[in-house]
Amino acid sequence: MADTITVSNVTKEYGTAVKTKALRGVSFRVAGKEFLSIIGQSGSGKSTLLNLLGLLDRPTEGSVSLLGTDVGALSKKERAAFRNRHLGFVFQFHHLLPEFSVRENLLIPTWIGGSKGAAGVPAETRKRAEEILDFLGVGQVADKSAEQISGGQKQRVAIGRALMNSPDILLADEPTGNLDTENSALVYDLFRRIHREMGTTFVIVTHDRAIAQQTDRIIEVRDGLVSQDVQNEYLDGRGGSSK
Amino acid sequence: MLELRIALRFLWRNKVQSVLIILGIAIGIAVQVFVGSLITSLQDSLVDETVGSSAHVSLEPAGGQVAFPFTAQDRATVSADPHVTAVAAVQNLSALVPLRDGSVPVSVKGGTLADLDSVYGLSDKLVSGEISLTGNHIAVGKDLAEQNGLAPGAAVQLVLADGSTVETVLEGVFDLGAQAANERSVFSGLELASSALGLPLDRVSGVEVQIADVFDSPEVAAGLQSVFPQITVSEWQAKNSDLLTALQSQSTSSYMIQVFVIIAVMLGIASTLAISAVQKTRQIGILKALGMSDAKTGLVFLYQAGILGVIGTVLGIVVSLALIAVFGVVAASGDSGLFPIEPRLGFVLLSAGIGIAIALISAIIPYRKTARLDPIQVIQGG
Ligand SMILES: Nc1ncnc2c1ncn2[C@@H]1O[C@H](COP(=O)(O)OP(=O)(O)O)[C@@H](O)[C@H]1O
Ligand SMILES: [Mg+2]
Repeated sequence: MADTITVSNVTKEYGTAVKTKALRGVSFRVAGKEFLSIIGQSGSGKSTLLNLLGLLDRPTEGSVSLLGTDVGALSKKERAAFRNRHLGFVFQFHHLLPEFSVRENLLIPTWIGGSKGAAGVPAETRKRAEEILDFLGVGQVADKSAEQISGGQKQRVAIGRALMNSPDILLADEPTGNLDTENSALVYDLFRRIHREMGTTFVIVTHDRAIAQQTDRIIEVRDGLVSQDVQNEYLDGRGGSSK
Repeated sequence: MLELRIALRFLWRNKVQSVLIILGIAIGIAVQVFVGSLITSLQDSLVDETVGSSAHVSLEPAGGQVAFPFTAQDRATVSADPHVTAVAAVQNLSALVPLRDGSVPVSVKGGTLADLDSVYGLSDKLVSGEISLTGNHIAVGKDLAEQNGLAPGAAVQLVLADGSTVETVLEGVFDLGAQAANERSVFSGLELASSALGLPLDRVSGVEVQIADVFDSPEVAAGLQSVFPQITVSEWQAKNSDLLTALQSQSTSSYMIQVFVIIAVMLGIASTLAISAVQKTRQIGILKALGMSDAKTGLVFLYQAGILGVIGTVLGIVVSLALIAVFGVVAASGDSGLFPIEPRLGFVLLSAGIGIAIALISAIIPYRKTARLDPIQVIQGG
């Protein structure tokens, strides 16, 4: 079976006149359904890397393959469709659409992906939305406007939205950067359960080592290069081992 | 239609903004339809006053002559022109009517009642008495009758240029709709006028022609002139160049008003949509991250423009038709001096099309701005 993620010698330069090299030759593989974190200081290139994995940007050099597809070969439209079909996003900010209800926010990715748009959402999709809302503990606010719920609830709805199209890979950039400790813990518990129950691969960007310690693998980025890539067996009580 | 659904939500969310721009479009379209219809109707009314009940094209004797032969064959030739709706062979003469306070100059037009009805609609314009124009019966204009105390049954003497007199009897009074005409016009039968002029019945001093579209007169005149080279053919536009210049400049200023109203509406919609596109940058960015294509996110603003354009235009047309109806009621109620405005379906539909089209054109900038937006620019920020 193809790798979930293959990143080969990826560089990324920003700017035309004054060039910033955000990534300077990054390579790593994710073979199966992993639960990993990308850690590094602010400005080290984490978000740049995640945007490349999320097909939101293209590398200057090198290649990215997702689920056996060389995504560099895809057109802009195909990349958008690939995002909708295979990827889920959770950002630091929930980015819910205030014009829509909680339930509708969940359905938006299926509307975008559906051939009939918003018109014909099949009953099983509606059922899935209810299940996800219940799973995330926000079923009781499904009919409220996305503005009327608490910050922790908003981020859980955003996670639900990322899950709606059953993504193979969920990409999260500082997903708890805006939440208090209690809500952060809740979000990581949810991520774990989703990984376990739905088999979704997680790539979580964080600058917080304590959070990274809760994932199975930690890729550390420093000045645009992978400085460390370790399996984290701390959780199993066997201690970390260098790879 | 996800784009349509999002467009509706965006509009609903910014209700005040949406309502204001709809009102802006509605007022613009209402002004455009009202002013356009007003000017058209004003011009129709002016033209109708000028030539509604007179000849559009006239055949007159060539220089030095007083009459020309006009046979049944000639009449058939004139009538064969598809533009022509009425033909009247007439005898024109000037006369004085001696009355209490001296003599009043009048112009007498003699013709068969059928001919005169077809051009002047005389029978319909009768205000008192009756009209047959047989024998020595004549009909006179309302003001001529009123100013000189003439009533049906009165004996009226006509004094011709050579001093001879014709005794007639007034049988009816008509109203041609214009005071100048009502003060001078006298109608008689063809025989009375012919014998006064000393002409046989098949020689006339004029033939008056009406046509369906009064602005076709130069073309019709040219056609008749080539068929009757020995007769002078004239048409009303050549005699009314001042009026036509006035109509022309009125049309031009009306178009200017309409064009500026449309530009103002367009700027209004364009700026509102541009603001909306900026306000919704975050939403558009996230929709793109979730896999919505550039073209489809752009369509959201096209739909917004379309919805605003359709609602605003329909409202504007309703308002303009209401204004026109009110204007009509005021015009109909007594001596306001107003004329009724006739909204023309074609013009109203054209205005509606323009309203919706400018709304869509105004969406081009936000459409392109939105299509170009890079989701990375918004997802990192709150
Ligand atoms: N759009 C951009 N244009 C120019 N420079 C950028 C852009 N995005 C990121 N950078 C630069 O690239 C480097 C890596 O940024 P980023 O990937 O956001 O780091 P991190 O997420 O680890 O904080 C930084 O020096 C940043 O200033
Ligand atoms: Mg970052």
